[in-house]
Amino acid sequence: MARDRSQSVDYAGPLKRLTLAVLVIVLAGIFLIWRIDSPRMEQFRAQVTDRVVPNMDWAMKPVTGTVNLFRNYQSYQRLAEQNQELRRELRQMQAWKEAALQLEQENARLLDLNNVRLDPRLTYITGVVLADSGSPFRQSVLLNVGGRDGIVEGWATMDGIGLVGRVSGVAANTARVLLVTDASSRVPATVQPSGQRIIIAGDNSAAPPIDFLENPDLVRPGDRVVTSGDGGVFPAGLLVGQVAADPGGRLRVRLAADYERLEFLRVLRHYGTQQVTDTSGVVSPETLVQEAEPGQ
Amino acid sequence: MSELGTAQRILLMRTGFVFLALFILFVHLLPLQTEPPVHFAPPDMLMLFAFAWAVRRPELVPSLLLAIIFLLADLLLQRPPGLWALLLLVSAERLKSQSLSLRDAGFFTEYLSVGALIVAVFVGYRVILGVMIVDLPPLGIWIVHMLMTLICYPIAVFVTHWVMGIRKYAPGDLGPGGLSA
Repeated sequence: MARDRSQSVDYAGPLKRLTLAVLVIVLAGIFLIWRIDSPRMEQFRAQVTDRVVPNMDWAMKPVTGTVNLFRNYQSYQRLAEQNQELRRELRQMQAWKEAALQLEQENARLLDLNNVRLDPRLTYITGVVLADSGSPFRQSVLLNVGGRDGIVEGWATMDGIGLVGRVSGVAANTARVLLVTDASSRVPATVQPSGQRIIIAGDNSAAPPIDFLENPDLVRPGDRVVTSGDGGVFPAGLLVGQVAADPGGRLRVRLAADYERLEFLRVLRHYGTQQVTDTSGVVSPETLVQEAEPGQ
Repeated sequence: MSELGTAQRILLMRTGFVFLALFILFVHLLPLQTEPPVHFAPPDMLMLFAFAWAVRRPELVPSLLLAIIFLLADLLLQRPPGLWALLLLVSAERLKSQSLSLRDAGFFTEYLSVGALIVAVFVGYRVILGVMIVDLPPLGIWIVHMLMTLICYPIAVFVTHWVMGIRKYAPGDLGPGGLSA
């Protein structure tokens, strides 16, 4: 009996110490492997997430819905104010709508004149946000579409208006989207009227700063920012947001996508832009002869 | 109480801890916060509950169970896998070995030693990440995260003690083997 008691009280028994040592070595090893071979470890992480998170989905939906209901309730209190605001905006929007309709008609006419066929491969898959990153230091969301639906790593993701992020980590049933606001996100973009090439470098804030801007004088707050397609990761011309200057004078991008409520996201199918690799050849007499001969 | 009953109860409480951990992860993963935080970072409740349980009933949180849960949390919450888990495991084991002396001390002493460990974990994590040249989380929010975790320890203890009924052994209490400890 006395021995029993000493065993149960002595928590630093040799077996426990051995287990602890093994666990410490295993955990340290996992961290080192992640540091050395991050992509493989991230793939493992995606597999684990794929196993665990969809099981929680049945409970997540109602809880998220309820919380959002209460959040909305707070905004009901300002109903009258919002109504006024919305009416004002609606009047502005009607003017825009008129302009958009005219442009659309003009665009259709021009497309028809040029006999343009839009690329049928530029389609999208819509997914529902299952979970967020769960940590205040990482900005990503988990979608309920994955390798099963043909999602490929690197594809751009939008929320109907603006760019949200890129797919990074695909498992069978889920895919993780790294948001533009994440500290490790870099998106090549163009500022619209001036055509300046920039990099949008996420820094874990709601409005990511602009990096590698060649001539700040040509860019002013309010300019549109669209993806440039440089690097071949994103298709060119996706709306990202508007340029804004923070109180410190640093230029940032106010994102067009509604980051407060990310619910449905579009993953754009993108099979890469064609690269022009060789310089244009001069048509010389020899090649002319060579090409002409088989025809004769 | 029979020996079997005690073993079953320990098993039950361990399952309870697993569900508690899963619940905390579930709350973290709810897609409510898709905007980057401005000033606020929530406390690491998993860490606090693990520490509170380790001080009170070390036999309910065996190291293998803790390691698996911490690693799962690392993987699900997008942290570098293994490091945070390693630091938490080592600190929890340290608290377990101190649990005999902490049992007789008051809450203030317990809070001091747990608080020192929490600070050590948060600082150590940044130092190791820095040494390994991994991107560090922003310092401001990181400090808020640490302070929130420090502040919330009494809450975790309160819930553990009064809601879950996990209490320190009082002198003359029945020990884990059904013997007086």
